[in-house]
Amino acid sequence: MSWDQLLFMRHEIILIILMLVMIIANLLTKDENKEKLIHLASILFFANLIAGFLPARYGSAFGSMFVANQSGIMMKNILNIATFIVILQSGEWLKKEIENKPRIADFFILILASLIGMFFMISSGHFLMLFIGLELATIPVAALAAFEQGKRKSAEAGVKLILLSTFSAAIMLFGLGMIYGSTGSMYFNEVLTNFNGSALGMLGFVFFFSGLAFKISIVPFHLWTADVYEGAPVNVTSYLSVVSKAAALYILMVVFYTVFINISASWTEILYIVSILTMTLGNLFAIRQKNIKRFMAFSSIAQAGFILLGIIGGAGMGMTVVMYFILIYVFSNLAVFGIATSVYRHSGKEKIRDLDGFYQTNPRLSLIMMLALFSLAGIPPVAGFFGKFFLFTAAASKGYFWLVLIAVLNATIYLYYYLMVVKAMFINQSDEAIDTIQSDFPMRLSLALCAIALIAIGFIGPLYEWINNVATAF
Amino acid sequence: MEQIITYILLALMLIFSVMTVTSGRILRSAVYLLTVLVATAAIYFIMQYQFLAAVQITLYAGGIVVLIIFSILLTHHIEHRMENPVFWKAMISALAALGAVAMIAWVLKDAQSIQNVAGFIPPKMEDIGMALLSYGKQGYVLPFEVISVLLLAAMIGAIAVAKPALLQFKNKNFKQDDQ
Repeated sequence: MSWDQLLFMRHEIILIILMLVMIIANLLTKDENKEKLIHLASILFFANLIAGFLPARYGSAFGSMFVANQSGIMMKNILNIATFIVILQSGEWLKKEIENKPRIADFFILILASLIGMFFMISSGHFLMLFIGLELATIPVAALAAFEQGKRKSAEAGVKLILLSTFSAAIMLFGLGMIYGSTGSMYFNEVLTNFNGSALGMLGFVFFFSGLAFKISIVPFHLWTADVYEGAPVNVTSYLSVVSKAAALYILMVVFYTVFINISASWTEILYIVSILTMTLGNLFAIRQKNIKRFMAFSSIAQAGFILLGIIGGAGMGMTVVMYFILIYVFSNLAVFGIATSVYRHSGKEKIRDLDGFYQTNPRLSLIMMLALFSLAGIPPVAGFFGKFFLFTAAASKGYFWLVLIAVLNATIYLYYYLMVVKAMFINQSDEAIDTIQSDFPMRLSLALCAIALIAIGFIGPLYEWINNVATAF
Repeated sequence: MEQIITYILLALMLIFSVMTVTSGRILRSAVYLLTVLVATAAIYFIMQYQFLAAVQITLYAGGIVVLIIFSILLTHHIEHRMENPVFWKAMISALAALGAVAMIAWVLKDAQSIQNVAGFIPPKMEDIGMALLSYGKQGYVLPFEVISVLLLAAMIGAIAVAKPALLQFKNKNFKQDDQ
């Protein structure tokens, strides 16, 4: 162990420093000046984002409890980008709500803490680290979900998230205990060699999977999603649905491909059933939703089902397409949530029906929303199409044609409900259309970033190649 | 003799954990929980896991239950009785729980105990202390430190949720409304 090895943890260390800086800055600012902390946090986080892209070194530290590899660092950078966009989008909400004012710094501290947890989880080489990272990623978000003190629904969201995630964490911990009992170790590489598929180990694996599936909100474990997404502040919802979900999906994929590769036949069967359930139920429930946050909750459940399709594709191709899809999913979802935030901030409305005639008053926002929804639906010129296409290819390359057929049928269902929103904005007429929205600069910047990324990612061929190189080098 | 005590303790744990979740009075639940936790500590002692037993008593029985009782006394009326759950819901939950117990018991029946796995060394107190501060293989200093971040974040989260909006801000707000 040397100082060099400590540098493998560069991403995490920078974030911890940022968190401490925010705590100290919070102490040093007077209550009237708290708004300035928003700028401080945005600038510092931008610096962190840039620093994340500096060339990194790969290796393991702390007796391979912490493993920094290329794909993990790429995932951390993706999460950094997503969190940066969330921070840009939340400035307005933090400033305008009077009750938020004394707690502006808390918001950033909690976001950073949860991101630190995700980073440790992504880099874990030991189940204990994975578990602690997962908890560190969840507990601050539960506090964030209950951030709006005046609202009952926000408190309800916080309580639901913390209680249910405790429950799922307990199940996961029980599973980890069983895995330890059957293998005698919790290091990833030792579990890999000692795992013999005994009944005890398999049950442990299933419990472990259930715990992670809860965080990703895969179908039998999805019941918390809609309520929490609806009750939490929009910015927290977007963080939950994008950053939390992406991190958990990544670690699920890594654990499946490295630790449990010997029982891939078993987990493929599980994923097969679960992904069909997730896609179909998510879609069917999304059609019925009227609230845009609930709608996005179920649509994100359906999207997770599609990502599982990519995981079934197996290491190599599967890894590439999943990371590529997550990258696109981040931008699409954040664009939709950004617009939902602006709409809610300026009019207090969050029903899909309220978007009627949105194009007449807010043409640019409508266009970005349309791009994002097209990307989620997978309509060709936008990046989402390529993501979906590669996911289907990955599953088909393994010969799961029935699965791909069901996925395509599902794709048509959600094409329908995404287009319903587009129709509401562009075709429906309304006398009470939302007034023209003047967003502040960070919000506009974040939406522009999303829009550019949505168009560009699909057309930059080298990007896919690059992700492919990273994923296969893994 | 040891076996008899173990079985008595296990039976106690079972009975009291069922009572914890079925009791309608929340303070009683907390006391039943305390019994479960102490019995768990006793089992650790029997299994020669002194460190774990000490942690169990100081942290869980000593710390957490006291905290729970405190928060009950601060927020709730003790007389408050929880409503009985709907019968069919209780039945379904009981069925699910029994099913899970049956499945786990069936799996554990054939499982090899951990002592038989090669390379198992019963932990000594010094070893645990060294492992918590060691950064090599089988060292746990990193999770130990990350947990400190977790606790810090949890504390800040609790404050953020509980902190009332400052009075001066409220007053300012009202004044603006008046004007």
